[in-house]
Amino acid sequence: MGSAIITNNLTKKYGELLAVDHINLEIKSGEIFGLLGPNGAGKTTTIHMLATILKPTEGTAIVAGYDIRKNPKEIRKKIGIVFQDMTIDRNLTGYENMWINGRLYGLSGKALEESILELLDYVELKDWKDVEVKKYSGGMIRRLEIARSLLHHPEILFLDEPTIGLDPQTRAHVWDYIIRIKKEKGMTILLTTHYMDEAEKLCDRIAIIDHGKIIALGTPDELKTMVGQDIIYVRIQSQNGRVSGFIEKLKSINSNSSVNLNPPNLISISVKNAPNVIPTVFEIADEEGIKIIELKYSRASLDDVFLKLTGRRIRDESGSWTDFVRTRMRARFRRR
Amino acid sequence: MGSLLDPFIAMWYRQVKRFWRAKPRVIGTFIQPIFWLLFFGLGFSAAFRAGGRTGVFLGLDYLSYLMPGVVLMTIFMGSFMSGISVIWDKEFGYLKVVLVSPASRKASIIGRSLGDATIAIIQGLVILFFGYLIVPTINLLNLIPFLIVSIIMSLSFASLGIIIATKMQTIEGFQLIINIITMPLLFLSGIFYPVSLAPLWIRVIALANPLTYAVDASRFLLLGVSEFSFIFDITLLISLSSIFLILAIYQFDKATIG
Repeated sequence: MGSAIITNNLTKKYGELLAVDHINLEIKSGEIFGLLGPNGAGKTTTIHMLATILKPTEGTAIVAGYDIRKNPKEIRKKIGIVFQDMTIDRNLTGYENMWINGRLYGLSGKALEESILELLDYVELKDWKDVEVKKYSGGMIRRLEIARSLLHHPEILFLDEPTIGLDPQTRAHVWDYIIRIKKEKGMTILLTTHYMDEAEKLCDRIAIIDHGKIIALGTPDELKTMVGQDIIYVRIQSQNGRVSGFIEKLKSINSNSSVNLNPPNLISISVKNAPNVIPTVFEIADEEGIKIIELKYSRASLDDVFLKLTGRRIRDESGSWTDFVRTRMRARFRRR
Repeated sequence: MGSLLDPFIAMWYRQVKRFWRAKPRVIGTFIQPIFWLLFFGLGFSAAFRAGGRTGVFLGLDYLSYLMPGVVLMTIFMGSFMSGISVIWDKEFGYLKVVLVSPASRKASIIGRSLGDATIAIIQGLVILFFGYLIVPTINLLNLIPFLIVSIIMSLSFASLGIIIATKMQTIEGFQLIINIITMPLLFLSGIFYPVSLAPLWIRVIALANPLTYAVDASRFLLLGVSEFSFIFDITLLISLSSIFLILAIYQFDKATIG
């Protein structure tokens, strides 16, 4: 497998502000790669540079085999993009929006018509094709934008915050499409998101980005193992067995585990990999005559990774404010 | 060639289709020029006749004098507003869709401008036929050359709108800019009074305004009188329009989103 995108010290400065700070990334053909980070981390700026609509201040990137500085036009033929903000003409129908885009990519006639109908069917909007977009819901507009980005069979698909401002049910729906596109069309997908669950569910590999810098890179599991602490909660029956012996043995499971006994009979154990450790917990309980009433565990999340690396959470207050504004903007579009 | 024709058609189609959808806007654009003709034209026509000053207006009754100008005013406003509406595409993201596509930007922007011109000229024609009802002396045999003059004029102001829109960073002050630009262009164009009678400084501005030559040429075509020679009008109109169009294409070609 080759590389779909290679960036080389890709940098964007706005005055003194380093929006994107010497990023070096390699995205393999056929993978879903996620840029995860809070709002203002430089995700959209990076995507805009890779999509050749923003000139880098420094450095460059190879996208689909071409240099973004030297051959933007060749790249434009090979990429599809769904922008973060709505970019559909609301006064036109779904079909008309698709048709105009098809012509912009040099498609025409019967072939264009067939592709449009096929894709509208793919995103379940065929019945809505002759309805003006202003009557669509947010989720429908997103699906139309996704269909539109696939019209010219791009090699690489950019999705900038594909589910921002959508309700949970619609988000899950959009996720299904993204997974289907990867599976059925074998496209390389670069998506940005500030939702942990989204990155975890969709991405083969994730780069965590903050203040324009990549601060961690790996598969979701690799990243979580990096901070490494899953927590197992065990509730035991108080009367029987040797509780102190049980706790001593639990402490020796692995070197950096910590065990706490909380009232009334809840024990929490921090470990590297909870599923691997749980059988041992049962064994020890057996040896010490402890009866386990309830056991559950929580895995380290990508948010914990971000917290460990930056001391902040991804979804801080300013993040939710931007979300709020975006949602309001979308609502305004719908009404206009 | 196909690669240039495609974006041209796409953008032309979009402008025409959008306008056709917005029915209240279609009707709204006819109201203002009709008001100008009826309330302003008829009133001043009577006033000037009472004062015996019709000779001032190239020997025409004031209403006849005003008519070609009001038709061009309609086309001017339509094309300038459509051109400057690029700012909305910029604000609401549609511009990115065009910029990220491999389509020729030159072809896209010319297609868009001609789409704007098409709509503006249809609006102008409606006003022209309305004007014909109240000023039947108009020579409609020259309709085709009049349309050509209108298209050139329309392209220049669609271009001016696009230049301003690509330069503007935000939509704040949008309405202010429209007023600051359209009012002087309209009043310093010979639509309402002969430019040659105005003070020198007004004449200087009017002579740099493509609208002046379009108005004068139209008056020649429709009523047979003009301040300048027709050839002079056409030469200046084409020259100024070309400059605007080239500037607009250049601006749009190097446009990025930030």
